[in-house]
Parts: sequence; structure tokens; C-alpha cells
Amino acid sequence: MEEKLLTQHFGIENLFKIDVYLKHSGYQAVKKALKEMKPSEIMDEVKAANLRGRGGAGFPAGVKWGFVPQDIDKPKYLCVNADEGEPGTFKDRYIMSHNPHLLLEGIIIASFAVGIHKGFVYIRGEYETIALRFEQAISEANKEGFLGKNILGTGFDLNVFVHRGAGSYICGEETALLESIEGKRGNPRLKPPFPASVGLFGCPTVINNVETLSNVPQIILNGAKWFCQKGLPKDGGTRIFGVSGMVKNPGIYELPMGTNLKDIIFKHAGGMKDGKKLKAVIPGGMSAPILTADEIDIKMDFDSLMDAKSMLGSAAIIVIDEDTSILDVLKVITKFYSHESCGQCTPCRVGNSWINKIVKRIAGGKGKKEDIDNIIRLASNMLGKTLCPLGDAAAMPILSITQKFRKEIESYIGN
Amino acid sequence: MIIFIDGKKFGIESKKTILEAARENEIYIPSLCDHSRLSPFSGCRLCIVEIKGRRGYVPSCSTYVEEGMDVKTDSPRLRKMRKQILELILSEHPNACLICSEKENCDEYKSTIRKVGEVTGCVLCPNNGRCELQDVVKALKIDKVRFPSVYRNYEVKKNDPFFDRNYNLCILCGRCVRVCHDLRGSSAVSFVFRGSKAGIGTVFDQTLLEAGCQFCGACVDVCPTGALTERALKYETLPDETRKTICPFCSIGCELKMELKEGRILNSAPSEDGPVNQGQACVKGRFTIKDAVYSSQRILKPMIRKNKELEEVSWEEALDFVAKKLKKYKGKEIGLIASPQVSNEDNFLIHKFAEYVLKTENIDSVVRFSSYAVFQDLAQKNGFELNLNFKIEDISKAKTIFLLGADIVVTHPIIWLEVLRAVNNGAKLIVASSVDFFLNRFSSLWLKMKPGSEYFLLSFLSKVIIDKSKVENLAQIEGFKNLKSSLDELDLSQAIEKTDIEEENIKKAAEILIKETPSVFIFGMELTQLPWGSQNLAGLWNLSLQTQGQLVPLGLETNLRGLFELNRHCSSNTKGFKRIIQDAEEGKVKALYLASPIPYSQKAKFEFLVIQDSFMSENMKKADAVLPAASFAEIEGTFVNVEGRIQKFNKVIEPLGEAKPDWWIISQLAQKMGHNELNYNASSEISKEMIKNIPGFSGISFQKLKKGERLFIQEEKKGKKKFVPIKFFSTSIETSKEYPFLMLVDYNLDYYKNLDLSQEIKAFGIIRNSRWFKINPNDAKKTKLKDGETMEVESSKGKVKGIVKVLESVPRGTIVASFLWNEEETISVARLVSPLSNASHSLVLLPVKIKRGK
Repeated sequence: MEEKLLTQHFGIENLFKIDVYLKHSGYQAVKKALKEMKPSEIMDEVKAANLRGRGGAGFPAGVKWGFVPQDIDKPKYLCVNADEGEPGTFKDRYIMSHNPHLLLEGIIIASFAVGIHKGFVYIRGEYETIALRFEQAISEANKEGFLGKNILGTGFDLNVFVHRGAGSYICGEETALLESIEGKRGNPRLKPPFPASVGLFGCPTVINNVETLSNVPQIILNGAKWFCQKGLPKDGGTRIFGVSGMVKNPGIYELPMGTNLKDIIFKHAGGMKDGKKLKAVIPGGMSAPILTADEIDIKMDFDSLMDAKSMLGSAAIIVIDEDTSILDVLKVITKFYSHESCGQCTPCRVGNSWINKIVKRIAGGKGKKEDIDNIIRLASNMLGKTLCPLGDAAAMPILSITQKFRKEIESYIGN
Repeated sequence: MIIFIDGKKFGIESKKTILEAARENEIYIPSLCDHSRLSPFSGCRLCIVEIKGRRGYVPSCSTYVEEGMDVKTDSPRLRKMRKQILELILSEHPNACLICSEKENCDEYKSTIRKVGEVTGCVLCPNNGRCELQDVVKALKIDKVRFPSVYRNYEVKKNDPFFDRNYNLCILCGRCVRVCHDLRGSSAVSFVFRGSKAGIGTVFDQTLLEAGCQFCGACVDVCPTGALTERALKYETLPDETRKTICPFCSIGCELKMELKEGRILNSAPSEDGPVNQGQACVKGRFTIKDAVYSSQRILKPMIRKNKELEEVSWEEALDFVAKKLKKYKGKEIGLIASPQVSNEDNFLIHKFAEYVLKTENIDSVVRFSSYAVFQDLAQKNGFELNLNFKIEDISKAKTIFLLGADIVVTHPIIWLEVLRAVNNGAKLIVASSVDFFLNRFSSLWLKMKPGSEYFLLSFLSKVIIDKSKVENLAQIEGFKNLKSSLDELDLSQAIEKTDIEEENIKKAAEILIKETPSVFIFGMELTQLPWGSQNLAGLWNLSLQTQGQLVPLGLETNLRGLFELNRHCSSNTKGFKRIIQDAEEGKVKALYLASPIPYSQKAKFEFLVIQDSFMSENMKKADAVLPAASFAEIEGTFVNVEGRIQKFNKVIEPLGEAKPDWWIISQLAQKMGHNELNYNASSEISKEMIKNIPGFSGISFQKLKKGERLFIQEEKKGKKKFVPIKFFSTSIETSKEYPFLMLVDYNLDYYKNLDLSQEIKAFGIIRNSRWFKINPNDAKKTKLKDGETMEVESSKGKVKGIVKVLESVPRGTIVASFLWNEEETISVARLVSPLSNASHSLVLLPVKIKRGK
């Protein structure tokens, strides 16, 4: 059985309460970091651990922290991206509902390392109970002296606030998230400037995903070398894979980075439901390009999937069986993006809307021969040409599906 | 730095976008969401370019040039992509006409088929021919759209003043949202919904009026399509000419461009390169000019009183009549009133007419009731130098802005834009007022105070700053000891009691003033027009010396500053306003020449009254002769704006009816009275003479003005500074059992000469109205008054009627009213606060009682 870093204590009753958490070596990492380490040492350790961002882009967290200017008279902020809106993804909610203090530890250590005194946890609107539970955790941590003024007598101050989203997918994009916290409409910002220099309220800001930060305590306790051993040398630690769709045992599986996709589906998730044949897998949340059944003998890490022209993204594995029509998959995907585009740039706003209309037309039996090429043309026109990554996120799965399953889609179009 | 665009080498200033660099060098890159005055948006994606060594395509509107950058703005691939993007835009916009192969043939029908409810093609669109989408379609040579056109079927919003919103034509460039939020601070419109339903709208789909729109029209000006269209242009074809001039509706002096068709004004809009306004205007300049110029209230023919009735006569007859009558009186029996809303040339000539032709010292104007006059008085009495000039852009560079005595969003909108710019750059705005102004939401500190108690606040701040800053620095300035000892009288509890401001806020204000420099102190008439107005100003003056801040005095009327300058040098011996009327009451002044609207005492009986104005007025009932003056649009001349900047305004149309320039009328009269030395053929001849004779105007040349040089009134700058000791009065204007409300006069210039804009232009009257008595909802409830009902306001001097306007921003126990010089007696607020009454400077506050009127 593989060792678990994040989910090891899941299942312990009332783990989300601080007294239970403290009994299971809770806040040891905070104590070690704040009392025994210098901020620069923490940052070096996290850099050496090759902890890559778990939100989707896989950017090394330590490097990101390093971008924040240190000699500046403005305040600095930490924003935790707990918007988890990528369809198929449900890992962060597990962490926050089972083990909120683990995330808080990560927040405290990261803030200490970067010199941040205010943190915002942006929780998606639908996660109401989680938000309440997390607020409870914050207030407990405040009472126990892990948050607030002069934490553990070290002179370090930190306050953490929960900010709840209102149901928009784009607010998971880091700059739209900042706008939303500022009380504005969640539209993405133009980059540069990047949030590390001009972020929340114009101040330097670190934005990390829930899972990313939750890994930090283990790195502090066990060291970078140990962490890399748990995963891959250049891609340390474990990953929480969220398996959904037509498998026997859907759910979350914390496994070493680089675990084979085939094993995840057939060993860990119990194989296909009702003995059906596998048709395709979306390996990293809905935005990831689709893999056909022949392509699933692959290591699940950032680089391997990149090589296969897909992406690890949020490591949400959506399993599609032979009975599922690929057109239905496409319909769900295109409806989602045409609804969730913020509307700012043309190719994404109008493009997604047209793709969705065309897919619906094909599904309604009125498809035309040129429709598939039209979809490809519209999607290519988004890829790399929109203001924020949403355009790419929509284009990638749509392009891969129409290209890899062209024959099947054509079969829905009459002569 | 050196960059390459399409293989050619260009030298570019840094901090420019690729799009700006390309435009500067006349390289065309299509774009629809970019606007030179707005921050980049990168929404339309039409302006994508390729950069050598970079992957993919970048929007040129938000990508800044870098040394050695090699940009490709045109290639088959780029062209193809741009066409695809434009097709997407067109699929959301009625496009049949845009891509029609026979569009040229449609021209002759355009003007007739505009009167339809829905715009489904260019020929039905009010913006046909003014549309940036049309331009881009032409440039990209689009002749087919591979998607069926989707008409979104939004209801056209027609229930707001001045312009319609047809979002079926919107391409979501977001310019209106950016200009409203970033430049104007209104945020009346925003993006609404998302995905394919994304659009522009107001909060909860309210009307613009409800959503806090100022109707400045900036959104209409930046809209690239026909989504936002001015109603006045709806059924007009394209203009055949555009002319520029200066707006006369406040003292900012915005440059406007007026569109003309066959010699008629179609509309007015801010000129893109206006030196003061930089492409911005306000509701008055943008939407009311045309209606004011062509008002039905215009006087179009000379009139003289025959058999008790005013009759239209020829100029010859009218001038002969007036000349003959005036000749009968001795100089001291004639009074003249000059106008702050006409040109310097007109005013120069009327002063010359008084001095050389009529030989009278009885010439005055409302300058006497301005903050300039109070300031001048203070400077003379205390021996410091009066400097009124400032540069508008200095405001946006300030770190602290202290505002008193004016609701600048209404009175000086362009000054407000500079304040907003400063605030957006991190400056602290402190507002001291009793009314909760719109701009208070941008303030770091609102000192909510008892009206009229400003000098207690200002003096206490002075005292705190003396205690906290290095005394040596301040002690070098003359008068420091006197100031310091005069402030000994004042303590904190007194300051709090008099002003009603919380202690903490007074301290905060002092802290900001000490810490955040440079500071700018902006003040309007409501600070100075009180019996202790000079003390209020002295308090501000001391504070500005202590913090080395700049004072920005805001004159209200168009050319108040120019008239003030003339007054200063032409007529130091002239008798005041009040004296002229008093003399009339005593029968000493028998004839009055009104070149400007004023109220005058009922007791004053003139034997002979001449009115020279562009619009009809109450005083005409008593006039013996009425001479029609041309409006600003019909003549040329110079105005001096609030900064002290001299600007030339131009003739846009021919004078209406038989109206003539003010200077022409005076010149003709002088000649009829035997003074041929006042013979002029053009206003420029008068300019030359004025420049020679009035020191403040020396150094002006029209050549320089034409070249765009900034010319200011010449001021002596010896830099003499001196503190002014403060006198604390025990008296104040208080309410009583009999008069339980305090009426506050809200100074704005919503009139042009004798024309009340809110009464003449209905749509403007919905936005703000000179007849409104604004009242707090609580007071309204108590007195059972509702919006729109008639209210009667009574003071010890009489009663007037107005319309109830319930507003949260008005403090309890207060009525806020507007002030016009010349109105019908039953509605004239001016009559209650008349400058002719004994408390001559108390034009701001008055205890009153209110009741429902009939």
C-alpha cells in the first residue's frame, strides 16, 4: 500500500476539529517552520521538493513564492484557490471537509515564508458546508494561537479570511479570482503584470491551490528529499486522483505522482462498471485533451501527459465507457464553456456559443457535412488566442474529441 | 527604442503599446475595443499580431513595445484569423447591410427608412456612416459571414434622457463600461451575465437615471457602433461640416466640436484634443447646447416700448431710441451691469462705453458676489499677494485633496475628473460638507459638518499642524505669531461643538494633511458667501501656507475670471451693485443698462431700462428697450477659464434672427451717441486694444493660441506670503422655532444668460432642476411631502415655491435649493437670499420654514 501524505488521517472521527487534529501530530509542521526555520530556508526546501501546483498548470510552488518582491512597502497577500470548478474535480473539497487544519498549516507556513500577514481562502459558492467548516477551523486556530497576532510567540502575525464565490467557473482563474475578492465582476485581468508583483488590491500576491498548500506541512516535517521520493524527482509527492464516470469505485485515490493511468482505473478504482469496455478517458479535468482507450498506458505526471499532448491538470479522471455517446460528452463540454465564458473576448464568447449550437444541431440529427470542420476551425481560433486560459481550456478537449472521434461524430451526420 | 514593424525600422518612445506605435506611424491594425483614452481591454482580438521569437499571437493593444521587437501586423494567416474573428462579431450584430454587395446603392434611401423600431441593418441604423464596425468590415474586406446572423432581440431602452441603448447592436467592446468607471467614476453601466448571454447593463436593469448616471455622454462618444445613440441625431443624416468652439456653460471652458448640416447645429460633443477637457464634457456641453441656442426663448428682434407694449422694431430705430434716451441722463444717473457669460471683448467694450461715452462709475457685475472678490478683499486687507491661476493637471498630481464649498461633480465636472485621477493614483480626498456629495464615496475622509462652520474646522486643523510640525519652518512666514495667538482662543471642544465633526475625524484630517503632500485645496462659493466668508477663506489660506499646498478657487460663471480681471484694472472706482440699486431707490440712478441678468429691488423704479440679452426674462416686463444679443455659438471672442487660461471661442453658425454680438450693439450705440472712437468692425480689433490696455491680458496673441500654446492671465508673482489671524465670531446662522429648517443654496451654473436650462430642456430638468427643494426623506415623511409635490419655503423676507425632491444625501433639517439671478417672483430663491438685503454676503444659508404649496 502506498504511503499517503494528505489523506492519511481521513476517516478519523472529527478530524476537522482542532483537538482531534492536534492528537495526530497536528501543527507540528507549523511549530517547526516558525520556530526552527528561517523563511528563506522554508522557501528553499519547498523549491527543492519540486512541489508543482495542483490546480492545473503545474507551476512549481516554491518558484512562485520566490517571485514576490521582498523589499516593498506594500502589504503582501496569500490567496488560496479553493474554487474547484473544473468539472470532474472534487479533491479539494475532501481535503477541506476532512482535514481543514492541514490546509491551514500550509497557509501559515507559506505566509511565514513569503512574509504575508493576510490570507484569503476563496471557496466556491456551492461548497457552503465546507466554507462553514473552514471558518470554524480558522476560529479554532485563532483560539489556539496558530493564527492571529504573535503566532506561537514568534512575533509573526497572520489573519485568514474565507471569501465565497458565487458560482462562476472563471473565478477559478487566478486573476478573475482576485477581481472577485476585490468585490468586482470576476473577469480575468490582462497579464502582465502578474499577481506576484501586482495582485490583490494592487499588491504582491501568492495564489496557490488547496492541495498544493496541503503538501507543504509534510515537506517541512520530512524534508524535500523524502518528498521527492514519494513521487518523481522533478515532480515530488503524491497526487489525489479523483476518478469519476463509468468505473466500479469512483472516488479519490491518493497515489504517488506518476502512477500509471491504467492501474488507477483498473486496479484502484476497480475497473469498468458492469464489465463494459473502456472508450476514452479525460485525464486531468474537463479541460484536458481526451485519451482513447489505446492511450491509457501512461504515467500520470505533468510531463508524461504533456508528451502525450494531454495534461494532468487537476488530476480528475473522467472515465467514459463504450455505451456513452461521444457526442453527448461533447454536448456537455460545449454547453459548459459556452455558459462559463466571461464574455470579454470574441473568440471565446461567440466561438463557444457557436460550437455548442453546432454540436446540438448534430445531436438533433440535422448536422451538416462541414460541421466538424467548422467546430475545428472555431476551436483552433480560440487556442492560444484568447485573453485567459479559458479559451484554451475549451479548445483543447473539443479539438481532441473531434479529431480522435471524428468517425463517430460523422456517423451522426447523415449524407 | 528601436523596433521593427513589418520589416521597417521605427524609433518609438518607451511605454507604448504596439498598436499605439503602429498608429503613430500610420500602420493600420484593425481594432474595435481599444480606445486611446482608455486602458487596454483586449476583448475583440482583432488587433492580434505576430512577434518574431514569440509563440502564438498577441493582442497589440495590450502588448508593450520592447527594444528590438520585430512585429508583423499583416500576413495571410493574420488576415484569415482576423476575418474569422470579425465574422464571429458580425454573427451577433445585424450584418445584412454590412456585407451587402449593393450597399453603395442604398445611400439615397438612408434618410427615409430610419424611422423603424428595430435596427436590422445599417440603413436603418442611426449611426450609419459613423460606425467603426463598418470601417473595419471595409478594411478587412468581409463579404460573407459563415454563420447565420442571430438577432438577440433585446428590448431597446428608450426611457432615459438624451440617448437610447440598443444592445442588439452591441459588440461588447466594453468601452462604455471602462469610460464610465475609470474616467468618470460613475459606474452606471457594467458587464452583466456571462457566456453567450454576456452583455452591458445597469444594476438590476434599472434605468440609467436610477443607476446614478450623470449623462455626461462619454459612453455615447466612445461607442463604436449604433448601440448608444444620441436621440437628437436619430433622424439626421451625416453632418456636412464640423466646427470647434468653447462651451459657455461653466467656467472650465471645454472645447466642443459641433456638427453642422446646412448651417444648423446638429449636436455638440467634446473635442478629442480639447486642451482642458481632453475628450470629456458634461451633460450640459454634450446634450443641451443645441436646444439652448435654438431655444424658443431667444430674442430675435430689437424691441422698444411703445404705448406700454414692447414692439419689434428695426435695429436703426431701436439704437436711435436708446441713444437718444441715454443722452438725456448725466453719467452718475446711469447704471450698467456687465455679464460673466459673455466674452472679454464684449465686457471690455461695455466698460469703455461706461467710462468714455456715459462717463459713469456705476458699473458692476456679479463678480462682486464671487469667491474671487472675497479672496481679493482678504489679500488687500492683509497684505498678501492674490494668485488665482492654477493648472488643472496639478490636481491629479496631488497626494491630498481637500474640497470645500462646491459639489464639483455638478459645478466643475472636469475638475472632478482630475480629482478622480488623483484618487485612482492613491491620493487622499478629504471632503468637508454637510451634504453627502456623490464624490464622497471616493473620499478617504468625509467631514460631515454643520454648514457655515468651516473656519472653526480649518483653524483647528491649523492649530494641530502648528503643534505637530516643526515650528521653525512656519515661523519664518510673516504673521505666524499673530496667527498662533489668534488660534489660542480655540480649543478642541469648541471646534467640535461648532462644527459637529467627530474628534477622531478632525485628527485624521490633520494627520493626512501633514503626511500626504503635496496637497491641493479646492473651494467653491459655498465657502465664501457668508458673513464670515473671509474668515473661512483665511482659515483655508493659512492651512495651505502651512502645508505648502495649492489653493484652487473655483469661479462659477463662464468668464467670471476674465470679467474679474477687467474689473480689477478698468474700474477701481466703480460703485457696487448694491449702491447702484440703492441709488435707484433714492432716485439718484435713473437709467439702468442690463447686459446681464440680475434681480433688483422692487423699490427701485427706473425711468429707463435697457436689456441686452439673448433670452427673454422677467425683467423684460419693465424694460423700455430690448436688444437681442447673439449667443456664443454665433460669435467669436475670448473667455478666461477657471484656471486663468485664455481661450478663443469661434463662430459656429450665423446669428439667429436679427441678433448681434454684444460688442456690436455697444459700438453702434456709442457711435449714435457721437463717439466714433468706439467704432469696431470685428471683435479681434477689440482684443488687440484690450491686450494693450489690460495688464492681465498682456502677452496674449492669437497666433500663439492657434498654435495650441497655453496662455494664462498674467499674475504678479513676488511670492509674498503672510498668515492671516483668525477672528472667531459668536454669531452664526441658526434655525429657530419659527424657522426650523436651514436652507442651503447650492451654487451651480445651470443657466446660460437668462435661460434656465432645466426649464427649457425637459430631459435636463429630469436630471437636475432649478425648481427643486431637496429634502431628507425623514423630514419629508414628517412634513408629509412627497417627490414632485409643490413646497412653499418661507423666510423672514418672503416666500417662494418649488418642487419637492426627496434625497438621502441631504442632511436632516436642511433644504437645499438652487439659485438663479432672475426669475419670476413666486419661485425666485434669489429674492430670499438677495445680495441686496442687509446681510449682503449670506448667500448660502437662510433659516426657513416649509409647508405644502398649492
